[in-house]
Amino acid sequence: MPVLWILAIVLVVALVGFVLGRQRALSSGQGDIRNLHSLPSYYGYNAALFGLVPAVLVLAVWTVVQPLVVQNSVIDLIPESAVEDAGNLSLVMSDVRRVADGLDVAVAEGAMSAEMAASLRTDFTDVRTRLGNVGVALGSDVTQDTLRVAQRYRELTASGNVLKTIVVLGLSLGLTGLALLRTSAQFRARNVVEQGVLLLLLAAACIAILTTLGIVLSLIFNTIEFFQLYRWTDFFFGTTWSPSFGGGSELGIIPLLWGTLYISLIALLVAVPIGLFSAVYLSEYASPRFRSIAKPLLEVLAGIPTIVYGLFALLTVGPLLVSVFGDNGTLGLGWMQGGTAVMTAGLVMGIMLIPFVSSLSDDIINAVPQAMRDGSLGLGATHSETVRQVILPAALPGIVGAILLAASRAIGETMIVVLGAGAAARLDLNPFEAMTTVTAKIVSQLTGDTDFTSPEALVAFALGMTLFVITLGLNVFALYIVRKYREQYE
Amino acid sequence: MTDATATPDAAPAPHRKKGGSLLELDARTRKRNAAEARFKAYGVIAITIGLLFLVALLFAIIRNGIPAFTQTFLTMEIVLDEETVEAAEGSIVATSQYRNMVAEALQVKLADVGIETDKEPRDLMLMLSPGVGAEVRRVVQESPELIGETVEFRFLTASRVDGYTKGRVQREDLARDRNLDATHLDIVDELMDQGVVERTFNLAFITGSDASESRPEEAGIGVSMLGSLFMMIVVLVCALPVGVAASIYLEEFAPKNRLTDFIEVNISNLAAVPSIVFGILGLAVFIQFAHLPQSAPLVGGLTLALMTLPTIVISTRASLKAVPPSIRDAALGVGASKMQAVFHHVLPLAAPGILTGTIIGLAQALGETAPLLLIGMVGFIASNYPDGLASGFLDPNSAMPAQIYEWAKRADPAYYERAWGGIIILLAFLMTMNIIAIILRRRFERRW
Amino acid sequence: MDDLRLVERDVDTQDIKIAARKVQVFYGDTHAIRDVDVDILDKTVTAFIGPSGCGKSTFLRCLNRMNDTIDVARVEGDIHLDGEDIYDAKVDPVQLRAKVGMVFQKPNPFPKSIYDNVAYGPKIHGLAKNKAELDEIVETALRRAALWDEAKDRLDEPGTGLSGGQQQRLCIARAVATEPEVLLMDEPCSALDPIATAQVEELIDELRQNYAVVIVTHSMQQAARVSQKTAFFHLGYLVEYDETGKIFTNPEDSRTESYISGKIG
Repeated sequence: MPVLWILAIVLVVALVGFVLGRQRALSSGQGDIRNLHSLPSYYGYNAALFGLVPAVLVLAVWTVVQPLVVQNSVIDLIPESAVEDAGNLSLVMSDVRRVADGLDVAVAEGAMSAEMAASLRTDFTDVRTRLGNVGVALGSDVTQDTLRVAQRYRELTASGNVLKTIVVLGLSLGLTGLALLRTSAQFRARNVVEQGVLLLLLAAACIAILTTLGIVLSLIFNTIEFFQLYRWTDFFFGTTWSPSFGGGSELGIIPLLWGTLYISLIALLVAVPIGLFSAVYLSEYASPRFRSIAKPLLEVLAGIPTIVYGLFALLTVGPLLVSVFGDNGTLGLGWMQGGTAVMTAGLVMGIMLIPFVSSLSDDIINAVPQAMRDGSLGLGATHSETVRQVILPAALPGIVGAILLAASRAIGETMIVVLGAGAAARLDLNPFEAMTTVTAKIVSQLTGDTDFTSPEALVAFALGMTLFVITLGLNVFALYIVRKYREQYE
Repeated sequence: MTDATATPDAAPAPHRKKGGSLLELDARTRKRNAAEARFKAYGVIAITIGLLFLVALLFAIIRNGIPAFTQTFLTMEIVLDEETVEAAEGSIVATSQYRNMVAEALQVKLADVGIETDKEPRDLMLMLSPGVGAEVRRVVQESPELIGETVEFRFLTASRVDGYTKGRVQREDLARDRNLDATHLDIVDELMDQGVVERTFNLAFITGSDASESRPEEAGIGVSMLGSLFMMIVVLVCALPVGVAASIYLEEFAPKNRLTDFIEVNISNLAAVPSIVFGILGLAVFIQFAHLPQSAPLVGGLTLALMTLPTIVISTRASLKAVPPSIRDAALGVGASKMQAVFHHVLPLAAPGILTGTIIGLAQALGETAPLLLIGMVGFIASNYPDGLASGFLDPNSAMPAQIYEWAKRADPAYYERAWGGIIILLAFLMTMNIIAIILRRRFERRW
Repeated sequence: MDDLRLVERDVDTQDIKIAARKVQVFYGDTHAIRDVDVDILDKTVTAFIGPSGCGKSTFLRCLNRMNDTIDVARVEGDIHLDGEDIYDAKVDPVQLRAKVGMVFQKPNPFPKSIYDNVAYGPKIHGLAKNKAELDEIVETALRRAALWDEAKDRLDEPGTGLSGGQQQRLCIARAVATEPEVLLMDEPCSALDPIATAQVEELIDELRQNYAVVIVTHSMQQAARVSQKTAFFHLGYLVEYDETGKIFTNPEDSRTESYISGKIG
């Protein structure tokens, strides 16, 4: 039975449970709700929660785990020789899965009977053509081994599905029944329901942990796999980046890191002065009216999607820079060959970061107590002296935190560099050269059909891991600084 | 009041009595006031630069994007002769037969309006979109009763011709062009004067589907808009309940312990994880591990939901925190349980704030591109509308920002124009969402 | 009233340092100060007393134009310092505040070292030619604020690390270091414990040797202890202004008497 159907049935069971629970409670209280411990609907919720939550939970876990279990139990059936031919166990497994899925499709479309699919033999049937007829394209001919494993895979999956249906529905019905049995006027339904809801709320909160865990695990496993194929020293210390899917790639991260840092540096050089001075002006000098107009307008820059900035870099800023710094540019310098360059991406990224720096700094400057300003002004300092010598030094840790957060943004930014920075990995000092970044290479290595087995694809996970660690480190550090700073004035 | 006191450098230092009239600025104060004015000017300059960037960005978007909403059409009549239609349908390459039909009709049309040309019909066809044959065929198949009649068609012109009428393609550019040459453009000019060729609003850009690389004139953003819609549904359905539940737990019930701290740290860090990393997560968990279909809005939506979750949690917690404790005390005081106090009183009062935060989170997700690149929502042609709900979620589709990226990568300037146009539509959506959020906030904001 | 130790102190001089006539202050639509006339004498401690919200702090802030920093505040009337109108358009408040220093209710040392806190004023006003002179100014100021002995070994430590009373004395040293002619103090002891209060009060009495001191206080006892002249404010009006001894023993206005005896306020 498909998962959606099971889910629907469980929902119906829960609904029925709600109605029955409510009725049973009412009748046990002789129809007067004053005789009940809790409001009648709580008895209903009690039954519904019992029928729904554990069953759905089991269903979800089962659905995720079953393919792994099935896969593990058929792996023994795969002969060593098949693994050696394909070069990799996971390749064989993906073949097996594809054949099994193909057989499913064939049976579903009526091109094969279920018995036939289970007893097919390559000696008698050209499985590839048969499956091709129902629209399942296979990359290579199906060997008898693969077919046998695929058939076993189907068998196990099918019986697993049946078992899953029975267990889930049984659990749902059983627990609903149990809840109904316990329902009586004295039963503390509200307390039980509230405990249950509290658990659900806790579970929702734990999604955050699961997400982090998911990120870390998906990065770690693939990164480990990558380092089995490629030496980690070559990755971290290699100064050449030239992936070729035919093999013999050089995958050194240094040029990518250099590009990332260079572009981020230029972005910060643009964003920090503009953002900081804007923040100082807005929080210290501007009239409330001007502030109420200029601040939201600046923040519009933060609400614009990065793809827009990317396009702006590629199609507007790049050509503009070339027309100034290019070979036939107005300055006649000939520094810039193409529109995509470190400068292009850095400049545009800087624009994007202005509101980020300015709002954070604005908050931080506003957190400096008024008493500091009064103290300085009362001594006869001018407003700018107060800002430069008292407020900014007082706000410095917070501002440093804000800049670090902006830096982490810049390092993790993708679309602007994908479109604006170029694709060539280079170790160069000229900011008008095209360079590339960690994020841009993650995109280029993982876009399209990925088989997750070649080092050229897996390297993206190692890049992602590096990126994650760097940005996480920056964030933790920055948040720590900002928090310390806030505490100082609270 | 001596000179010595007026110039600080000559001051005899401590214990000096600062004389000097208040009514006269001494030199040092004048200098300091100049510094003050300079400092203030830096602030004004910084804000001006920031705002100029905004203006430049909007100007570039509007100037480059507006032309995408119009398209050049050529209106002409074709006699759908029964024999020719049958012959065409009988042939293996039906559309090319229809093209020939159009070509002949075009020659006739030119002669009708008095344009003399020695160009072959095949050569003339370069002025029209390569898709005209297919369009005639579609009309014939949809309404066979038209066969034998003279039917008026509004054909898309080729993207170069369209670019010429929009000023994107200059005559000089054609020097290197294999297809179109200056004489074509002369014909186009004359046809424009006659009103046969005209540039009008192009609804197909908003509602249509993507087209192949060689036919930018046919491409539209409609299908990817649907893709975005389905993704946003997934984001809303997943992120809102989970986000609100998590916030309620953390804000109202969480005991002060390590688990709570750990969750808090996780949320604040997730808010700052680069979006591309969420793309890797989506790829590894939903596609590599769970074998969900690639390029499906369901996967895109789930990935974006995880990304939006921290935003929603942070804004929801802020709204919950803004509800004063007196409300909770009042509910607890009449004997409600903590859970009842939260769900009956605090949550409804915080709802506008939660909604505002959710809309802003959705807007963020709508404009996000990087994770979609990794889960494969680019790189193919989003040419079909989904058949129904299930296929809307599960069939490969694109999304607005991904479609824009795809167009930006195609080297044809005609596609750049469409990318800018797509941005106008995307920004229109984002602006609407933000305005709704602002209105909600203004309308329901309560100051306790 | 028994604990009012009225020390008979002579008013050393009758030189008028600040003369205020018909001063009005508006906060937006609120009329906070009405028609205040007062003459503040040089080398004298003048106390402003009155119930909270009576406008005594607001008036104090008029004297060095600190109200300028509040957007909605508007001041009318004449205030003359040594015969010069401080609200004249030609007057730069920066120059004025160098002459009329201020100490605030809560100690507000800058997040800098003790030395830099004190040196801040002299530096911005260019009072020292070189480091040695600056050192001397700082030492003198700290000595005058009776903080030198406690602080001389820790000049490089942050000013925020001192105790509350020390912080307030640091703020006084900071104000004294710019060589002002008038020192305004806005409830300087309200955030301090009794011992620190006593130290600061003693200090105020010493500062009288060099400056005109104006102190706002909510404590009648404090006014009686440190001041020679006392002004009683009520609801924005200056009700009575006279020798401190007279105000506390024989007030002319019934409102003053009610306040002194604890019936209002």
